[in-house]
Amino acid sequence: SISKKKKRSGHPSPPISFPAIPIKFSEKQQASHYLYVRAHGVRQGTKSTWPQKRTLFVLNVPPYCTERSWLTVTSASQVQAILLPQPPEHAEAPPASDICLSLQGFQVAYVVFQKPSGVSAALALKGPLLVSTESHPVKSGIHKWISDYADSIPDPEALRVEVDTFMEAYDQKIAEEEAKAKEEEGVPDKEGWVKVTRRGRRPVLPRTEAASLRVLERERRKRARKELLNFYAWQHRESKMEHLAQLRKKFEEDKQRIELLRAQRKFRPY
Amino acid sequence: MMGPAPAGEQLCGAIGEPEVMEPALEGTGKEGKKASSRKRTLAEPPAKGLLQPVKLSRAELYKEPTNEELNHLRETEILFHSSLLRLQVEELLKEVRLSEKKKDRIDAFLREVNQRVVRVPSVPETEEILQDKDGLNQRYFRKRALYLAHLAHHLAQDPLFGSVCFSYTNGCHLKPSLLLRPRGKDERLVTVRLHPCPPPDFFRPCRLLPTKNNVRSAWYRGQSPAGDGSPEPPTPHYNTWVLQDTALESHLQLLSTMLGSAQGLKDGVALLKVWLRQRELDKGQGGFTGFLVSMLVVFLVSTHKIHTTMSGYQVLRSVLQFLATTDLTVNGISLCLSSDPSLPALADFHQAFSVVFLDSSGRLNLCADVTASTYHQGWSLLWLQVQYEARLSMTLLDSRADDGFQLLLMTPKPMIRAFDHVLHLHPLSRLQAACHRLKLWPELQDNGGDYVSAALGPLTTLLEQGLGTRLKLLAHSRPPVPEWGISQDPPKHKDSGSLTLGLLLRPEGLTSVLELGPEADQPEAAKFRQFWGFRSELRRFQDGAIREAVVWEAASMSQKRLIPHQVVTHLLALHTDIPETCVHYVGGPLDALIQGLKQTSSTGEEALAVAVCCYDDLSRLLWGLEGLPLTVSAVQGAHPVLRYTEVFPPTPVRPASSFYEPLQERSSLLPRLDKPCPAYVEPMTVVCHLEGSGQWPQDAEAVQRVRAAFQLRLAELLTQQHGLQCRATATHTDVLKDGFVFRIRVAYQREPQILKEVQSPEGMISLRDTPASLRLERDTRQLPLLTSALHGLQQQHPAFSGVARLAKRWVRAQLLGEDFTDESLDLVAAALFLHPEPFTPPSSPQVGFLRFLYLVSTFDWKNNPLIVNLNNELTVEEQVEIRSGFLAARTQLPVMVIVTPQDRKHSVWTQDGPSAQILQQLVVLAAEALPMLEKQLMDPQGPGDIRTVFRPPLDIYDVLIRLSPRHIPRHRQAVDSPAASFCRGLLSQPGPSSLMPVLGYDPPQLYLMQLREAFGDLALFFYDQHGGEVIGVLWKPTSFQPQPFKASSTKGRMVMSRGGELVMVPNVEAILEDFAVLGEGLVQTVEARSERWTV
Repeated sequence: SISKKKKRSGHPSPPISFPAIPIKFSEKQQASHYLYVRAHGVRQGTKSTWPQKRTLFVLNVPPYCTERSWLTVTSASQVQAILLPQPPEHAEAPPASDICLSLQGFQVAYVVFQKPSGVSAALALKGPLLVSTESHPVKSGIHKWISDYADSIPDPEALRVEVDTFMEAYDQKIAEEEAKAKEEEGVPDKEGWVKVTRRGRRPVLPRTEAASLRVLERERRKRARKELLNFYAWQHRESKMEHLAQLRKKFEEDKQRIELLRAQRKFRPY
Repeated sequence: MMGPAPAGEQLCGAIGEPEVMEPALEGTGKEGKKASSRKRTLAEPPAKGLLQPVKLSRAELYKEPTNEELNHLRETEILFHSSLLRLQVEELLKEVRLSEKKKDRIDAFLREVNQRVVRVPSVPETEEILQDKDGLNQRYFRKRALYLAHLAHHLAQDPLFGSVCFSYTNGCHLKPSLLLRPRGKDERLVTVRLHPCPPPDFFRPCRLLPTKNNVRSAWYRGQSPAGDGSPEPPTPHYNTWVLQDTALESHLQLLSTMLGSAQGLKDGVALLKVWLRQRELDKGQGGFTGFLVSMLVVFLVSTHKIHTTMSGYQVLRSVLQFLATTDLTVNGISLCLSSDPSLPALADFHQAFSVVFLDSSGRLNLCADVTASTYHQGWSLLWLQVQYEARLSMTLLDSRADDGFQLLLMTPKPMIRAFDHVLHLHPLSRLQAACHRLKLWPELQDNGGDYVSAALGPLTTLLEQGLGTRLKLLAHSRPPVPEWGISQDPPKHKDSGSLTLGLLLRPEGLTSVLELGPEADQPEAAKFRQFWGFRSELRRFQDGAIREAVVWEAASMSQKRLIPHQVVTHLLALHTDIPETCVHYVGGPLDALIQGLKQTSSTGEEALAVAVCCYDDLSRLLWGLEGLPLTVSAVQGAHPVLRYTEVFPPTPVRPASSFYEPLQERSSLLPRLDKPCPAYVEPMTVVCHLEGSGQWPQDAEAVQRVRAAFQLRLAELLTQQHGLQCRATATHTDVLKDGFVFRIRVAYQREPQILKEVQSPEGMISLRDTPASLRLERDTRQLPLLTSALHGLQQQHPAFSGVARLAKRWVRAQLLGEDFTDESLDLVAAALFLHPEPFTPPSSPQVGFLRFLYLVSTFDWKNNPLIVNLNNELTVEEQVEIRSGFLAARTQLPVMVIVTPQDRKHSVWTQDGPSAQILQQLVVLAAEALPMLEKQLMDPQGPGDIRTVFRPPLDIYDVLIRLSPRHIPRHRQAVDSPAASFCRGLLSQPGPSSLMPVLGYDPPQLYLMQLREAFGDLALFFYDQHGGEVIGVLWKPTSFQPQPFKASSTKGRMVMSRGGELVMVPNVEAILEDFAVLGEGLVQTVEARSERWTV
């Protein structure tokens, strides 16, 4: 089943369809990483967010690359790049916390060019590409952390505006829902059923699992209270047997425990 | 060694496979392999050997019992606590019992020895050697020694023996015995001790009563008994030693007739010997020996307190019960049944000895040696210790704890781990002078000149009196006198190493710096002055009384803990002439590891209290805040500082503005590129619950916005009403108060529930845990609860803070801090206080830390949850339930499971780590550190470099990344604190700037986050957050296996041709350069230390 899945994923395994382009941070580095690139294409009929023929799909993008870096490395003007932490088949929604966004590992990229020729030009790149150049330096290390810190200082005004806008929309939505509920209150539907809601004139308890469990538990206890224990001879016999079974189970557990300790020579006192 | 297994298989395996790691106690002789084995443990999954939930079929469980089974069950219930205990005891006895095969070999050797001793030429009959008055003036002992030397001379030439040497019988230097060991492979099997004995009736018993003198002053001191006609002093110990020889044979006969036929009694004695040895009570001169305890069993049998049909466990229990409840220093006991009026009374013995237990002759006190010399003292250190231990053990047995067996019989209690402080007296020759100073001539005469034994009693009485309420128990330990060759001189008293005393402290006594004496005009005042010497001074107290008093210098808690040191050195110098240089007090050498930079006089408890006090103020402000739409319903601390477990307590921040880039419009300071990294300030989290109300929306997104609005409002109000500098975000509000920064998180009690709600298609709302709801519950509910519980623990046990911080510091210093949450380590430390058995809760950081290492290195995490019963909320039944639930769910639980009353199933604080390998690494490191540190602390010459065990091994890493101290904000906290570091932009006095300081900015941590994000699946990264200058990198071997090309696994890899096939391997050269690129400015060098990637 695994091989089937692979086929469906749309990324054929032979690397031959992914030309490798060496990439380095700057002139100073000796060794390069390799970008594995391919024109982005999807099978007929499937929808894609990325424009056909103008998009380059890139694997193994080093951590210091930013979305801006693509302007630097491909000399083409007018590109737009989107970086994703993982290839699309794994792309669950990334947790939306601000820490994750500021972090980078190796990523994949979809680079959208102005014209299809941009893709072929990029596929022909020999490299090594440089991410940080004198004209377009990329911040790393201390530089980056200090500027990240400065960016992380929140602007209370912006926060206030965001909260107010959201709450306004939210309040409106709630008001609408309430109005609708009020309208429907007591009005039977086509089959004559009347919907009872929390907000109505005579509100009911919300239907929750916890509430129904509570009811069941209460019932059970009520029944248990009425039952007679050790009243009939068979009950007595059974409870004795139950006790014996417990002892046997405990004994087996203990034996196992001892066996383990003996194997570890844990009974040598010193 | 097993090969690596896929992660899923690490926790399930066959039962009974041996552990990879040998038990810590056996780890000798393998030093050469240590480094490699350590490396292996990190790379490989831990050994198997996991308990499985028992699965018995219904038929097996409910089959009709046989008679035999019923009998066994009944017997177990009557004779033992439980079937587990019965099995455990049986296993232990199997280990300590002599096998039949060995017994035969030993018997054969004994027969050989017997033949040879008889054949030694020209051995005169003992009657011919001994003469009438040989009981006097050590004549008997000297002849005995000569006789033995003669035997030794002949036996040494016999090829049967592998070694022939001397040792002292029970450490008594007047009584050597000859040790014979067979030649060849049995040399370690058996040692035969030859004790020469006089004929049974040779000495007249009446001459050897405890009141008699048999060492004449004229002979011993070379001076005639003082002309004033004062009587010769009695020599009770000397007399006992003679009597012991005459009674030896009859004692052996008694033991074999009374115990020989009853298996339960023999088992009981074996268990008791193990019990004594684990507590080191039988050790050294005058120990509570196995012989003594066997005689005690005989006594209890003869008084019908023990029956011959009892099981070994019942015998153990009965003897402990007897020891715990009977005080032999007041009411001595006797095996003698005769009512002969000529026999001495028990009272006579009580006069001479502190502990009295007479043998069947009624003339010999079996416990005479239990205290060395207590001629005029009415107490015995060892007896107190035996009684104390017996009481502890009885409490343990009565508590019916599940692991009672383990704690009672399998846990060693070496002095250094049992006592809060220890002190070594070294060199011992100083005690000779002390004896003269204390005028202990009669004792010396009685002890044959053994000045250590003579001085021990008076010395410890002096200390006990001086330590008073600070002391719970005092114990002593003397290393056993070594054996010596027959051509060597016997060891002298001063050669026997040192005298070590252990102090068990009473925490409530440690808070006072005052010894309050009597009022100046009382007659006792003179006595007080005499006792304390020049330290005693007249003081006027608040109630107007003028009293004698001693005041010790101690400002901080750590200094107060060390007042016993001052007391001991002062009293010893004053009364016994033992100078300070000979008293090696070991109480606080580890304190240095948790001391702040400038406050070497404190271990931080005071600084933490200041921060907690500031928090209390803030919480009052929050309660009283006007203008919040909802009222505050609770304010709870949720940070290690607020439970006293932050390794380095925060100090108030006073930023020097020139050091920072001000961001005026947001009232904040920023770090500057051209300056060293500013001081690290970590905000202390405080959770502020707002009341539930209809105003809260019932939608997760909306709740977040309302909370953000509250955060903003809080900041505004705190600034308006109290002038505090604040900064709000959507999730928290940072508040600067008196130089401390608090991070207030507004919480709404129902929010976790809202996050959990899932609506089914039928409209039923059910609750399902989600990662977000769990995180929120942990942060806003469990963390505050834990923080307040541990805060409470600190109030009960003042040493908790020090222990928890030392433990955490050590784990972090081993570069493993990242894998263990603060909370999990705090809980392990708390367990040492809440479940100290078989010890009592630690009263010093030192002993607590040693026990932490012991716990970590011996706890079987695979098969047991660590139950930390905070506030004693869990009942015994609940704990049993937790244990069985644990076994059933083992494979779904984290590697390390810590259970608290608030967290009975999930072990929230260990959910995200450590991994099995990292935990195993910690176990190995702890097992290495413990004996090393204990040896250092027990070294009478001084502990040497105490930081050794805190330095991490670096040889195991594949790559070392060295960091520049300029950008390590906590550089000065390093284990080896640098002589100089960089200015971190702080003023010593409050400056004009009131902008928000730089918060949580720590370049090494930011760098590590980036490294883990980028290379986490190729390598592990290790770092000490307290000023570490190096990051250790370990490649993951599984990630270095060549892999086929796959879009999802290209990260940092490159395509290579391997045997005609294209595979992906990590691009190590480029990755090493990435390490430098990502940490530009911070990284000094990247050192690749192995070539492991070229597999």
